[in-house]
Amino acid sequence: MNRRDFFKIVTVSGAAAATGGCQQASESILPLVVPNEHLVPGVASWFSTVCRECPAGCGVIARNREGRVVKLEGNPDHPVSAGALCLRGQAALQGLYHPDRITGPQVREGSAGFKAATWDAASKTVADKLAALKNGGKSRAIAVVTQLENGNLGGLLDRWVQALGARPRVTLEPFAYESIRAANRATFNRDAIPYYAFEDAEVVLSFGADFIETWLSNVSYARTFKRMHSFRDGRAGTFIHVEPRQSLTAANADEWVRNAPGTEGLLALAILRAMVDEGMADRRFGEAAASVDLKRAADETGVSVETIKRIAKAFGHAKPGLAVGGGVSVSGTNATQTQIAINLLNAAAGNVGKTVRFGADSAYGKVTPYAEVANLAGAMAGGEIEALILGPGVNPVFTLPSGLKLADAIRKVPLVVSFANVPDQTSELAHVVLPDTHWLESWGDYSPREGVVGFLQPTMSPVRDSRPMGDTLLRIGRAALGVEEGKGPIPWPTFEQYLKGAWAPLVKGDLEGALRRGGVFGDVAPAAVTAKVAAADSTPPKLAGDAGGLTLLAYPSLRFYDGRSAVSSWLQEAPDSMTQAVWDAWVEISTDTAKKLGVVQGDMLAVKSPQGTLELPAYISPTLHPSAVAIPMGHRYTPYQRPRYVAADTKSVNPMDLLPAVADATSGGLAFMSVKVTLTKLGTRRPLAVLQATHDQDHREIAQHVDLGAAREQALRGRPAEEAHPTLYPDQKYPGPRWGMTIDVDACVGCQACVVSCQAENNVPVVGKASAAYGRQLHWMRLERWAEGKPEHPANIFLPMLCQHCEVAPCEPVCPVYAAYRTEEGLNGQVYNRCVGTRYCGNNCPYHVRRFNWFQYEFPAPLEVQLNPDVTVRQLGVMEKCTMCVQRIIAGKDRARDEKRAVRDGDIQTACQQTCPTQAITFGNLKDEGSGATKLTHSPRAYHVLEEIGTRPSITYLRKVVRGGGHA
Amino acid sequence: MSNGRTSTPSFADVNRDVLRTLEPPGNLYFAWMCFVALLLAGFFFAWAGQVWWGMGMAGKRVPQMWAMYITTFVFWIGIGHAGTLISAILYLFRARWRTSIYRGAEAMTIFAVMTAGLFPLIHAGRMWFAYFLLPYANQRYLWPNFRSPLVWDVFAISTYLSISTVFFIVGLVPDIAALRDASTGWRRRIFSMLALGWEGSDTQWRHYRRAYGLLASLATPLVLSVHSVVSWDFAMALVPGWHSTLFAPFFVDGAIFSGFAMVLILILPMRHFFHLHAYVTEKHLDMMGKLILVTGLVLTYFYICEVFTSLYSGEHIEKASLFWKVTATYAWALWTMYFCNCVAPLVLFWKRARTSPVVLYVVSILVLIGMWFERFNIIVPSLGHDFYPYTWGIYYPSPTDSMIVIGSFAFFFLLFLGFIKLMPSLSIVEVKETIPPPVRDRAHGH
Amino acid sequence: MATETVLGVFAHVDTTVRALEELRARGYHDLTVYTPLPVHEIEEVLERDRPVSRVRLFTLIGGLTGIASAFLLTIWSSLVWGLVTGGKYLQPAGGSIIGASLPPFFIIAFEMMVLFGGLATVIGMVVLGRLPRLSQSRAYDPRFSNDRFGVAVHCAPERAATVHELLRTSGAEEVKSR
Repeated sequence: MNRRDFFKIVTVSGAAAATGGCQQASESILPLVVPNEHLVPGVASWFSTVCRECPAGCGVIARNREGRVVKLEGNPDHPVSAGALCLRGQAALQGLYHPDRITGPQVREGSAGFKAATWDAASKTVADKLAALKNGGKSRAIAVVTQLENGNLGGLLDRWVQALGARPRVTLEPFAYESIRAANRATFNRDAIPYYAFEDAEVVLSFGADFIETWLSNVSYARTFKRMHSFRDGRAGTFIHVEPRQSLTAANADEWVRNAPGTEGLLALAILRAMVDEGMADRRFGEAAASVDLKRAADETGVSVETIKRIAKAFGHAKPGLAVGGGVSVSGTNATQTQIAINLLNAAAGNVGKTVRFGADSAYGKVTPYAEVANLAGAMAGGEIEALILGPGVNPVFTLPSGLKLADAIRKVPLVVSFANVPDQTSELAHVVLPDTHWLESWGDYSPREGVVGFLQPTMSPVRDSRPMGDTLLRIGRAALGVEEGKGPIPWPTFEQYLKGAWAPLVKGDLEGALRRGGVFGDVAPAAVTAKVAAADSTPPKLAGDAGGLTLLAYPSLRFYDGRSAVSSWLQEAPDSMTQAVWDAWVEISTDTAKKLGVVQGDMLAVKSPQGTLELPAYISPTLHPSAVAIPMGHRYTPYQRPRYVAADTKSVNPMDLLPAVADATSGGLAFMSVKVTLTKLGTRRPLAVLQATHDQDHREIAQHVDLGAAREQALRGRPAEEAHPTLYPDQKYPGPRWGMTIDVDACVGCQACVVSCQAENNVPVVGKASAAYGRQLHWMRLERWAEGKPEHPANIFLPMLCQHCEVAPCEPVCPVYAAYRTEEGLNGQVYNRCVGTRYCGNNCPYHVRRFNWFQYEFPAPLEVQLNPDVTVRQLGVMEKCTMCVQRIIAGKDRARDEKRAVRDGDIQTACQQTCPTQAITFGNLKDEGSGATKLTHSPRAYHVLEEIGTRPSITYLRKVVRGGGHA
Repeated sequence: MSNGRTSTPSFADVNRDVLRTLEPPGNLYFAWMCFVALLLAGFFFAWAGQVWWGMGMAGKRVPQMWAMYITTFVFWIGIGHAGTLISAILYLFRARWRTSIYRGAEAMTIFAVMTAGLFPLIHAGRMWFAYFLLPYANQRYLWPNFRSPLVWDVFAISTYLSISTVFFIVGLVPDIAALRDASTGWRRRIFSMLALGWEGSDTQWRHYRRAYGLLASLATPLVLSVHSVVSWDFAMALVPGWHSTLFAPFFVDGAIFSGFAMVLILILPMRHFFHLHAYVTEKHLDMMGKLILVTGLVLTYFYICEVFTSLYSGEHIEKASLFWKVTATYAWALWTMYFCNCVAPLVLFWKRARTSPVVLYVVSILVLIGMWFERFNIIVPSLGHDFYPYTWGIYYPSPTDSMIVIGSFAFFFLLFLGFIKLMPSLSIVEVKETIPPPVRDRAHGH
Repeated sequence: MATETVLGVFAHVDTTVRALEELRARGYHDLTVYTPLPVHEIEEVLERDRPVSRVRLFTLIGGLTGIASAFLLTIWSSLVWGLVTGGKYLQPAGGSIIGASLPPFFIIAFEMMVLFGGLATVIGMVVLGRLPRLSQSRAYDPRFSNDRFGVAVHCAPERAATVHELLRTSGAEEVKSR
């Protein structure tokens, strides 16, 4: 971005911090923490809004410095996220400042591609077409497709659709969980997705539900799961996960049960049967599972009868338990039946109303089922649609199966209007692009679940010349209807005014407060339901493709969701926790398959289905079920990432290109598991950039664990007195505080949120695939996966690793120029200006957490606007590393001084700690016996990584608590 | 005519033969010069690229943040040691056979240390700030960290370079005087300046000999200290395979070992092309051979100790590192080293091998290869498989690394080729000392 | 008073020595001997009535200066800019010895001792040997750097003749006055 743009942002939004963007009136924006009338240079203002990177709708507070947003954090007041944010939320900034972001309205000029146009001209083109259709009596030929907008924007759009008499709006979400709704209709006679109270469960039994990755609301469920699962005063819940593939969620299970793909329903019924047989469930549930015979079920599912019985016992005795189902393996043509079986399990164990709570229903319940989307596609193909309006965030050409032939269908539509603000596969087909403002620049509201309404407010003025979709459509609508502002069915001049009007009854006069809080949060009374027991059938899903092939598991990616987050280079470079691979997509194949094909990791494979062929490098996984192959969804590169960070390979890596357009008949949900594929070795190689050299600790006790029983004993006995470190030298004295940190390995679920948060906070550059593959990544914090036990069935421990801020730091004395030294507050300082770049410290750091600037790394414009003004951008040739967010420490101390008080525990939060959904990280003053961090360091589970070297780190880890099952 | 002459030469012969080495060189010489200069150009090209685009141009990575640069640095420092050993230690031991080779050896020392001195610069991520390592006075009281082995290096190596240079020049003065007296015209004028007006009067000789002796006795502990200090770059670090008290003597011995090999590699061609058989006799070759053999055997002993200690330590990580070195990716380098340094020199047990220039030459080259790989094996594999399995990794040299390492040899040989044509590569004075002085009648002779 | 220099050029060591013995016996002490290389026999004769070279004094002082300055630099700098590295203080702390990490400074001290000592030695040699000299002494002859030995006797003009005679009898190839 050039200087002028820069000043535009600073000056315009200098007003904007107070006025909140060009169109909006000034009094309405309110920072969360400091109500600032004018912009105070050097002082951050915080704006609360709602994250729209996925339908979970977490609360966000945006840190605005000099009129530009530099960091996002979870909104502590918001009931969904409770202060946490996932990696996708953290990386939303890269969408806001995306180098490819559309600069203004564009109109397609024949085959010549897009040409910049004025808003009036572009809007006129659309309005004329719509008017023509309406007057021509063909208003049904107008279709509106948006992402899940259940707030007032949705309301406005529906009014707009009515006004024009267009087709009912289609809300498109690739992952819509229709089967859950259908099953709940069948069992509980309620078309909704309930609130699953993980926090109250003793045993969680999950059938493929990847609730730590993408399922429904990953941040809130990760948090509540941790509350139920992690070790607290001698108690800890149990988590059993059933999935053919060891996903991140499966890796967090105490017992991961690997079943044959598509047999979840059968397994659920078998467990129900076992429960009934054991007398743990009411007899009347017996008939539901009557058809099931344990032995046969064991053969089909590949899960032994003993295991089934053990699970049944654990689940049946839980007071209460919780069974959930979801994910790709539970999305076949039998999805609804599977969910019904799971419902029966919950009903039989008496969990309904306890851990399965209707009332506070999820917003996902309002998504248009896939079947109707398919109908729309059919209508387009049939030429019935003449104007297609696509809201932001929808990219059906990429996220829907190629079997649907959607791209061709869209090409048949005479006028396609896209509101995307970053180009994607669908907006490429549009005739008119009217870029919507990024959600960080927009007004709006979103209700993730009943009773919770989050408010969106602009946190800064638009980076590019984009306008809110609401405003644009109102203008276009009126033009099409031929009425002027203030008249007709859609009189509102702007969406903001419509919104304020709609909010009035909600906020009861206190709009300020609501905006500060981030919305209006209430509870809805749980709705009582009764379970209807009907025989659930357990037929396996119908799979297209070569019968002898392998079942394709196209699973949603924690990093990219359906692909809408893949525009972020931070996320591309944040490793997938299980494979530790960055940048590239891959096809995960089991060890047997690899043997059969004679391939090693990185060999290119052609994955063939009736729909098409993908060429992907192989990732060989000992854990994957031999009859399956898995491909992550959402991998796509935006132009600016190619070839800067990754080789310019434009071949598709999108598994949706392999899927037929099959839906589950009952629910109308898309069957993600619907095809068998065949693999052929291509002979070429494309090595993956895998950051972790090995998952085997080689007995070095880097990530430690303790058995539940032992943990209980220790918890009762307390920590054994540790022997003093023998030393000739006087201990270091800390005149002020001594900062330290504890990381509870038992709580860490390996979601990578801390890694991206650290990157956002500390101006950590992106290095690209080649450098990352060659051990040159710059992450100050990394998330390691250590595996133990049988390779095909390992127990995983996730370990966040960052600078240990050792008291006896090996890195310091070897530095010839004192660039590395020990500060008075117990940090390992690193003076960039003094560093000569001998890299001696990097060699001598046993943890290898020191990072070297091998090149001068760039921040493609306008991404440099996001850089944190409080943190130096490092030059080539210098060492850098985790500073424990020293800038936050300083800010915290300043605040305390201004308020004439000492720094309180919790005043200062590091970026990684702040965003952690499971609160695994605690930062504090180790000299203060009362601080949370200090208390935890006295825990019997406390240990230091590589303690025997005697580096005496300031970062204490707490051992993971394992149940026997995990290591079966 | 002096080719293959065995009869002891007279003082006059010495002057003539030595001065002959300074006659205008032939085409072969210039051919070599061009070749070397070409490589050197590549060296500077690569270095410029690295400074411009960043250290990433070299193949370094995590965990091998040090690799071929430090390897080659240690290698060249080691080469230097033989020179000082011959000129100082053997001088103190009055080993007369040293006289005809020490000048070349000393020159080698200086050039080797100069070459080595380039590498800390090349290696630094921000070489333009390398002066931060010097204790220069500044109003902000910023001083180097005198506890860092790298700062010890700075002191040790700069001292080593200055003292060897001084030692070298002092040795040259009388010879340059001889050149002055033998030459005419502009050469004469230049040499007169360099000779400081040396006349060989008794007073001059008196102070000269005392000073020379003192310098020798200062240089002796210095040479031992320098490579010990260099070895502490590693021994002071934690890295398994580095953290060992064995390193100082281990490095010093290795240095002398490789140094003698280099001396042979330089002396043998000179002997051949300049027909110096009368001065560099088979006795010399025999002596050098013996020294290489002895230091080689000592080195073998150190290797055994190294392996033994890490096995006996019972330290899991140490052992893991050792087993990985011996068996995994870099095993070939390790076994090359063992062959070149432990097996190849054994041939020198035979006198015929010790006196055959060809055999000596081959062995010397093998020894140099072996010693380069010794440093490589200490640095790269140890770092590649250290404490933290997450970051274990393999280092691949990049074109930049390789061009710079090769170029450093070019730099060295360019200097040496220049030297042998500009300065007497044999010490006229000391060679004369080895010849029985002219006596008229035995009756009165002492 | 004007002195004359009589120069005898010798081809052999023994003749030179004989000449020197003779001259000593006759009480000629003001002589300069030119040799292409240091010769023991000649030195023996000359050393008898001369002190040992004072170069070693230079060396001693240089070396001591080196040690002192090294310790001054290291200790003082760690006192004025003493940062904690590796959990160890550089400045006096908790009753520990100065620097809490003195040992490394010995390395610096050693190197500085050698450096200063060496340089001082050379300076000593240059100063005491009257180097560098721009013009050559009258008696010098280029052959002295090759294979001839020269004995220059500085005496009163009236005694020159006897000196001539003496040198010639003791075996000089050539005797001349300068």
